[in-house]
Amino acid sequence: MTDDEGNGQAVVQLSGVRKEYGESLALDGVSLEIHAGEAVAVMGPSGSGKSTLLSMVAGLDRPTSGSVVVHGEDLGTLNEKGLALYRRRRIGMIFQFFNLLDDLSALDNVALAAQLTGTSASHARKRALELFEELGIAGRQNTYPAQLSGGERQRVAVARALMNRPAVLLADEPTGALDTRAGEQVMDLLLDLNQIGQTLLLVTHDQQLATRCASRLIEVVDGQVARERSLERTA
Amino acid sequence: MSAVWTVSRAAVRRRRLQTLVIGVVVALSTTMIVVALGLLAASTGPFDQAYSRQSGAHLVASYDRTKVSDSQLTATARTAEASAGPFGIATLDLNVGGPPLSLVVVGRGDAGGPVDRLNVWEGRWPDKPGEIVLNRNPVTSSRGRGAPALGNQLTVPGGPTLTVVGFAYSVSESADAWVTPEQMTALKPTASQMLYRFTQSATNAQVAAGESAVTAGLPSGALLGTQSYLVLRAVATGEPNTFVPFLLVFGWLGLAVAVLIVANVVSGAVVAGFRHIGVLKALGFTPTPAMAVYLAMISIPAIVGCALGVVLGSVLAESLLTRAFENYGAEGVAVPVWVDVAALVGVPLLVALSALVPSLRARSLSAAEAISAGSAPRAGRGLRAQRWLSGTRLPRSVSLGLGLPFARPARTALTLAAVVLGVTSVTLAVGLGKSLTTYQTAASRAGAVDLTMFGGRAENGSRMVPEGASPAGPVAKLSDSADEALLRSSAGALYVTASHDLPMRLAGTKQDLRVTFYRGDSNQLGYRVLEGRWPDGPGQVAVSERFLRQRGVAVGDTIALQSGGKSTQVRIVGKVLYNSGEEVLSNWETLALVATGTEATTYEIQLKPGTDIDAFVKAVQAGDSGLEEVPGQDAGPFIAIVLATVILLTLMLGTVAALGVFNTVVLNTRERRRDLGMLKSIGMTPAQVTIMVVTSMAALGAVGGLLGIPIGIIAHRLVVPAMANGAQVEIPDFMLDVYPLGLLALLVLAGIAIAALGAFLPARSAARATIAEVLHNE
Repeated sequence: MTDDEGNGQAVVQLSGVRKEYGESLALDGVSLEIHAGEAVAVMGPSGSGKSTLLSMVAGLDRPTSGSVVVHGEDLGTLNEKGLALYRRRRIGMIFQFFNLLDDLSALDNVALAAQLTGTSASHARKRALELFEELGIAGRQNTYPAQLSGGERQRVAVARALMNRPAVLLADEPTGALDTRAGEQVMDLLLDLNQIGQTLLLVTHDQQLATRCASRLIEVVDGQVARERSLERTA
Repeated sequence: MSAVWTVSRAAVRRRRLQTLVIGVVVALSTTMIVVALGLLAASTGPFDQAYSRQSGAHLVASYDRTKVSDSQLTATARTAEASAGPFGIATLDLNVGGPPLSLVVVGRGDAGGPVDRLNVWEGRWPDKPGEIVLNRNPVTSSRGRGAPALGNQLTVPGGPTLTVVGFAYSVSESADAWVTPEQMTALKPTASQMLYRFTQSATNAQVAAGESAVTAGLPSGALLGTQSYLVLRAVATGEPNTFVPFLLVFGWLGLAVAVLIVANVVSGAVVAGFRHIGVLKALGFTPTPAMAVYLAMISIPAIVGCALGVVLGSVLAESLLTRAFENYGAEGVAVPVWVDVAALVGVPLLVALSALVPSLRARSLSAAEAISAGSAPRAGRGLRAQRWLSGTRLPRSVSLGLGLPFARPARTALTLAAVVLGVTSVTLAVGLGKSLTTYQTAASRAGAVDLTMFGGRAENGSRMVPEGASPAGPVAKLSDSADEALLRSSAGALYVTASHDLPMRLAGTKQDLRVTFYRGDSNQLGYRVLEGRWPDGPGQVAVSERFLRQRGVAVGDTIALQSGGKSTQVRIVGKVLYNSGEEVLSNWETLALVATGTEATTYEIQLKPGTDIDAFVKAVQAGDSGLEEVPGQDAGPFIAIVLATVILLTLMLGTVAALGVFNTVVLNTRERRRDLGMLKSIGMTPAQVTIMVVTSMAALGAVGGLLGIPIGIIAHRLVVPAMANGAQVEIPDFMLDVYPLGLLALLVLAGIAIAALGAFLPARSAARATIAEVLHNE
């Protein structure tokens, strides 16, 4: 993967992104690029602005100034509906606390992402079952989130994120709520995904996750990119 | 307790929206309760109190002086609890400068006495011949323009001139005026009046028993007529009694909605506040103070809302009561204090009780349980419904929304109940409005009479000016028969009915009646005969249900009508749909028995379809410029008041129900912040979020509509006849069948509308919420 990094097309481009929350400055002129097929980890202390950065790329929040372009789409030009459609088509997100709907089975949680695009229930379920197979949770599709282990829940969340074949997979502390074993399984999964070409942007405190899954590390301190370096992935 | 108070105050401030919803819901519900209870309590109160204070007569009787002596009357009156009289009576046609004033005048020594104490509210009591005091209600006294004033001279044709020296009010309506006994002797009274109070007088039977006792042993035919106070009481309380059934139903509906919504709000607050309760306990709050915080949090806005509701309800009820009772001098009728006290104590107590159950649940939670419980609904509820919905072809935002109510069955049930009651209220109100307008349409004979024309003043003054026509209008050029012929021959005329109104009295009473005698196509006037038949021969009349009830007579009975000293026996041959106890309908043959050579004053015309009314009027006025169009009458004030009240109460209940939905959606969306954030993160648009949330409540609205409509129809079937009974009118069955299928479909939509309206704002707010922080922190 590392060989392709420099050659891949820039999927994510941030230029001078600044984000203020009232008096507080969360991001201060961040500029960076993420290329297709890259796996980039963003690290930094609490309150450094790394989650805000992820929100900007996900279109969950808007920068005070600067621009965010993902897959050629300038998010600043999109209204709320446009941002929703962007999230639907271009990105997939996984969260520390999984954020699965408790009332829906694992299968329906995953299928939901496709159904929102207008895909029929049967097609969405078919595609979801394929993902269950690929992600190693086949047979768990009819269980409910409360009946799944933490690792399984995160795999379901990953399946949901991959449902619409996103250009970028965004992960916010994906192993933060998992025990060591489950965390390692999720790391392996992310690594596998990246190795088959999935672009990844991880926000994490976990050095091990970063070095294991990411090919590049961006350190954010006080809302600015303090350091950026390539990583040698560990086995 | 100071810690509880501090935390409670903070909780009230922090949950402003919830506090506002509780306050508004309780205020509106209390308003309705106070209005309903106030009206019920006062509907008989003012009359009975006034009657008791003035020792009003339970029976006013008039006797033929030629058949019974004063000593005989005094002797037989001993069986009554109290009596006054005998007083001489004379009916005098007094000249006051305008048309003659026909008054029942009684000779009476003073205004006091054991029965029918008079309230001399202006001027003084007459103390010598030549003076007269008029009976006038102090509240309505300012209304009679041109009515005699203090110092005016009234001339008895061929007799003395009487000076008005005062105004008195008789709750018993025992006379129109009073003079000294000496003056009465000079006026040669034709009858004697006795006023009685009985020990037992609550029912017609008891009053009749009293009457039998005081008339026992008197010569046959001595008794000319009587007037029971129960008739006056029925007239005084009739209109408020009309309001009471539906106001009570609305009051109870409002109360039920308030309880349900408060229960919903409180339980939601407790569930949403589990973590807060846990923190309080962890800080050292023992279970009871932790529970007290939640009770106080609910009670503070409830008490404020209740106080506001009592004030608002009192103002509204007083306005309605004063209007309803103004004719009986019950100025400034107030809501009884006990109603205010009951509302001020009862409503907060009710709120506290509905808060107690979920608060007890909060009390029993351990700190750890509470903190870990979180705020989202328990997983695993409504799974089958969700699974089935996810496989349907519905848009996913809709199917997700339809599944949401299953996640919190208890809250859904409470919200559904509020919507059901809201739809019930709307159904009842719409039905009530339709029944009343149907009644009004039938009673006003809409469609049967296109045009009413006054025949014009006669130069010799023989034509009376009917209601609505100008007293200073043009003078008729043609005779009555020529006018009728002109109208019949004019292009466009289909039916023409001529009529003459004559003021008359029922023998033995001082109650004025307006008797309308019809000629021509009177069977086309649009009167709906409910019983018997339309008068078709001499000596026949038709009357209303109210007339029959107020006078205790029935179709088939014979009554005596008096005019100008002449009495005519007529038979009631029909009961007709109209809402007046003072109007009697008859025909020209009967008029011939009462007065001869009388001309018609009014012509009611039905035109052929498509006829231009203005052109018709112009054409007939070309023939007789004295013919004047009489403007149509507005709907009766009673119906207008009821309709306005119905609309007001429906809006209040609909608002309360919508507030219940609003509160539920606020709670749901707050609890589901994380889920909503996740849905947006995977591409759900703001519109889809709004649709999902509104759908969740609209589904309840549809179910609420389906359940609420039959309940509303049943309520309508109970309330309308009760109202009709209170108003002393008969409502035929067809006026109860006011729910066509199209309307029922619309009512289902009303449920959906109430729910959708309540859900829309919080749904839109949820759709616009920033999600980044929620997803990161939760």
